[in-house]
Amino acid sequence: MKKSLKLIAVAASLTLITGVSVAPSAQAAKIKLCLALDTGGVDDRSFNQGAWDGARTSKVATAEYLAAASSADFAPNIKAFVDKGCELIIGVGFAISSEIVKSAKANPKISYAVVDDAGADCDANFNCKPVKNVKGLTFQTDEAAFLAGYLSAGMTKTGKVATYGGAPYPTVTIFMDGYVRGVDYYNKVKGKKVSVLGWDTKTKTGSFVGNFTDQNAALTLSKGFEQQGADIILPVGGNLGAPYAAANDKTKKALTIWVDSDGYGLLPAGKSTLLTTVVKEIGASIKSVAKDVAAKKFDGSLYVGTLKNKGVSLAPYHDLSSRVPGQLKLEVRKLRDQIIAGTLKVNG
Amino acid sequence: MKNTISRIGQSIKLPGLSFLMAFTITGIIIAVSDEKVMNKIGSPIEFLKSAGASVGNAYLALFQGSIYDNRLAKSNFFEGFYPFFETLVTATPLILTGLSVALAFKSGLFNIGAQGQFIFGAIGASYVGFRFELPVGIHILAAALAGIVLAAIWGGLVGFLKAKTGAHEVILTIMLNYIAAFFILWLLKTKTFLRPGRIDPIAPEVADSAKLPLLAGENFRIHAGIFIALAAALFVWWLLTKTTIGYKFRAVGANSQAARTAGISVPFVITSTMMICGALAGLGGAVHVLGSEHALNTDVAGSFGFDAITVALLGRAQPLGTVFAALLFGALHTGGRMMQSNTGVPLDIVVVTQGLIVLFIAAPMFVRYIFRLKKLNASTSLTSKGWNG
Repeated sequence: MKKSLKLIAVAASLTLITGVSVAPSAQAAKIKLCLALDTGGVDDRSFNQGAWDGARTSKVATAEYLAAASSADFAPNIKAFVDKGCELIIGVGFAISSEIVKSAKANPKISYAVVDDAGADCDANFNCKPVKNVKGLTFQTDEAAFLAGYLSAGMTKTGKVATYGGAPYPTVTIFMDGYVRGVDYYNKVKGKKVSVLGWDTKTKTGSFVGNFTDQNAALTLSKGFEQQGADIILPVGGNLGAPYAAANDKTKKALTIWVDSDGYGLLPAGKSTLLTTVVKEIGASIKSVAKDVAAKKFDGSLYVGTLKNKGVSLAPYHDLSSRVPGQLKLEVRKLRDQIIAGTLKVNG
Repeated sequence: MKNTISRIGQSIKLPGLSFLMAFTITGIIIAVSDEKVMNKIGSPIEFLKSAGASVGNAYLALFQGSIYDNRLAKSNFFEGFYPFFETLVTATPLILTGLSVALAFKSGLFNIGAQGQFIFGAIGASYVGFRFELPVGIHILAAALAGIVLAAIWGGLVGFLKAKTGAHEVILTIMLNYIAAFFILWLLKTKTFLRPGRIDPIAPEVADSAKLPLLAGENFRIHAGIFIALAAALFVWWLLTKTTIGYKFRAVGANSQAARTAGISVPFVITSTMMICGALAGLGGAVHVLGSEHALNTDVAGSFGFDAITVALLGRAQPLGTVFAALLFGALHTGGRMMQSNTGVPLDIVVVTQGLIVLFIAAPMFVRYIFRLKKLNASTSLTSKGWNG
């Protein structure tokens, strides 16, 4: 009896302590920007994180986010934002697009955007029409990946490079397409025979982990490519490549190329073998939408990130800069100018 | 009567205390991981105050996000229950997968395969849902039945292999989970399942006639699936306590050697248990697709099949207990959303809480030691067979 009384006392005092609450401070002038993230978490060192960094550092908005544990969270997360009075709701990832569109149609006064999708309203037969209050944020990442492919072909010592993806989504394979074409272009110009493992642009088949979370499977794939002789590896899938990058930091058997956000500042280990990053400026695109909403200039027209508008880019070589031959650096820069000028087509 | 009350008291004491311990430790983690709190470590009073506020806000958000939020009640009182309905929506598939695991426990089997069975249930329901045009009531029935049958076959396969070859059901179900997960990945790339115009793996939405009716209007996602789940719980209770076959299940679960000697066909029990388990998890998948998701994607199963193991353990493999455990998990998950957005406590903390609850449930000796409890009756403990069971 005594014991249980004690227990009740402890429970009651806990309630007392925890009952105190503090109201969060509000800022009036800024717009309320809310990010509905994809699965993978806010610290995925990739597109969720890139989006959040952009939102967090926006000068015209106060930002918050909700991470999704699975696709079942998408709709309720967006609904929670609507209830909280968010003025701009951004869905991060094409998977969340249809839920964003549904919510946008029900709440025409709120502005929406979706990363990696046009954000159109499609019926069962794929007749799509744009939605006025949804802005699609898309990226020609193959332009930057093309440069990475060319660079890799120029850097490889074994004549073999490799790439693999998280899952065969168009937003993933566009990296791999661009990468392979960049290598092919190098072969054509230089008369070399550098081969790419892990992706075939013609049959659209290649190596995939199957998801964006199984880092062990990704590590196995990377090791496999390493054993097949590849000395530069591009994993396309958020944080998937992190364990290999870390392991590689010691063994130094291969170089890694990161995707989405510049891996140099993000990766805890692996800087010494990080060649570059195929950057997709999700954060910048989000900042620009937020600015539009704050200035009441928002419209639902599609945004396409390219090398030209700096929506995609090739990150600096950082620690490996001294190992990239000056001539190759020059060629990559020239290629970039050609793509921007439109004299070199990279997509097919 | 008095006996019943004391029995119920006995059976919720351990989960209740585990729950309390888990929440206390989670509170400490929330406070320690909050920078604002840790900055005040210099002055004990300020530190405690700020820690209390941090933890209090987090748990307040957890409540508002899962039960009732008065800020949502703009036009009437009822709207404030939106979070509770969300809890029910999340709990619905969990009840069904939880029952699947719980029933297996009763026959002495460890069903890790609810995930795969869920996937097949979702596939069957989705296909019938978008492919055919049928009248309203019949369409739902046909779609759910398709899911149940597919999943029952998938589950029954495990029972059959175990009964015929002696292969262990844990290995079988784990491997079949992988097969199911990659099967759906492949399936959603085929012409039959891929939504027209889409390249990313997602199936067409099921027809309106196949969607489960909403219970509280368009603004709420709560659907009739919760009644299906509760009916299933009632069914499992009835099956186990009121039927001969249920008696056989329990007999094999308690002691398969003795059951065999008593003339019960153990292979039959194993196969039929796993079929029913499959059907239950499959119904979970069907209800999830027809009720709230409406379209099949590769991520459709989330972690419903794996959380089910925790739910069944927490519910001590009893149908009613499983329902309450699933509701608790639904509430934690739904409330975690508000906790995340209002107080910046990451969703991972919710997962930590779930883990801690299970840890304490799984280590009853530890909880009993801390609270100086007497040993519980042997009958309330869970049994699962070892490798040769």
